[in-house]
Amino acid sequence: MMELFLVTAGCFLAVVGFAVLVETPGKYLLQAGFAGACGGWVYFFGMQKGLDTVPACFLSALVISLLAHIFARIFKAPVTVFLIAGILPTVPGAGMYRAVYYIIADDRARSSYYLIQTLEIAGVIALAIFIVDAVFRIRVPHRQEKRKS
Amino acid sequence: MDDKSIANMAVLAGEIMLRSGAETYRVEDTIKHILDTAGTAETESLVMLTGIIVTIDRPGQEAVTVMRRVHDRGTNMHRIVEVNEISRKYCAGDLSAEETWEKLKKIKGKQYTVWMYNLVTILVPAGFAPLFGGGLREILAAGGAGIVLAVLMTIGKRVKTGAFILNILCAAGIAVAAVFLKLWNPLLNMDTVIISGIMPLVPGVAITNAIRDTLRGDYISGGARALEAFVTAAAVAIGVGAGMALTTVFWQGGGL
Repeated sequence: MMELFLVTAGCFLAVVGFAVLVETPGKYLLQAGFAGACGGWVYFFGMQKGLDTVPACFLSALVISLLAHIFARIFKAPVTVFLIAGILPTVPGAGMYRAVYYIIADDRARSSYYLIQTLEIAGVIALAIFIVDAVFRIRVPHRQEKRKS
Repeated sequence: MDDKSIANMAVLAGEIMLRSGAETYRVEDTIKHILDTAGTAETESLVMLTGIIVTIDRPGQEAVTVMRRVHDRGTNMHRIVEVNEISRKYCAGDLSAEETWEKLKKIKGKQYTVWMYNLVTILVPAGFAPLFGGGLREILAAGGAGIVLAVLMTIGKRVKTGAFILNILCAAGIAVAAVFLKLWNPLLNMDTVIISGIMPLVPGVAITNAIRDTLRGDYISGGARALEAFVTAAAVAIGVGAGMALTTVFWQGGGL
């Protein structure tokens, strides 16, 4: 329980930090951090409950992109502003590192295991973003009609 | 404003967005909206990761075409939001063309101080340490690796090396720092420190944009961005590998 809290708080701080690095305007920092913290929470909670890494990443990316789209609608900003910083906890940095680490340690079997896992995670992130994008795009024609009139 | 100025304005808006790491389809969309506001004319915009082409064609007149090559790309959400707001106001008729041009020219790049950037460069690795299974010890160590990263990034910005080399150097610096911290405190989980340390470098922006561009059917930009993501990932991986290999060879005696 303590760990889960630490992870969520850490993700929040880290995502806010990354948002500053990519020059997110000050008024959107907290929202981006919130999306990231939720993503980190879902990922870690899933892992604690015995989910595999890839499904945990999928759920986490799904939650983050859903929140990013909702925030974009509420605060009238492009989705990227929240999505790019928020998605960071899910990005397969760990898998990438381990793949290289085992190449150096001369363990090809584990290296290719982590390489495949990295690609899988990148794939499920794509899937999650795609699903949410597609769901929210159903409304887009409406908005464009409004804009033209 | 005449067509030429409108086309220039649209290209300026697009260039700012493309340089700041906006998705390609969004840039195209913004340019198209700005051009269409001008009135009844055939307008086209073609945006790729490396350049913008815009044309306005009125019946009975010579077509106006403006092309712009875009060289360096970073990530700057502030500018994307600003251009988005300005173009929205212009399309809604709240801003005149001249005002829009002035406002676009005035958009600034940086909005936080150098200290803020360095502070968050330390904060990001420290914050991610718990996610990768670290305790208090790893959080502190990751913060230490973050300090190394901040120093290297500041130097890199001054020297203006290419992004590829800078990524290799930064990742190598993190790996070396992590190995040293491990030597100093053998209980430390080195993996966690390195993984948290490279988080500010991993190509999250490129991956996300590659996905969104590809899924909108913009395969050229999507593919280019995927390649960008892969190259960045390779640079980080090479850097970590080189850093670890070097320290193992020189300070622990013995090979890999």
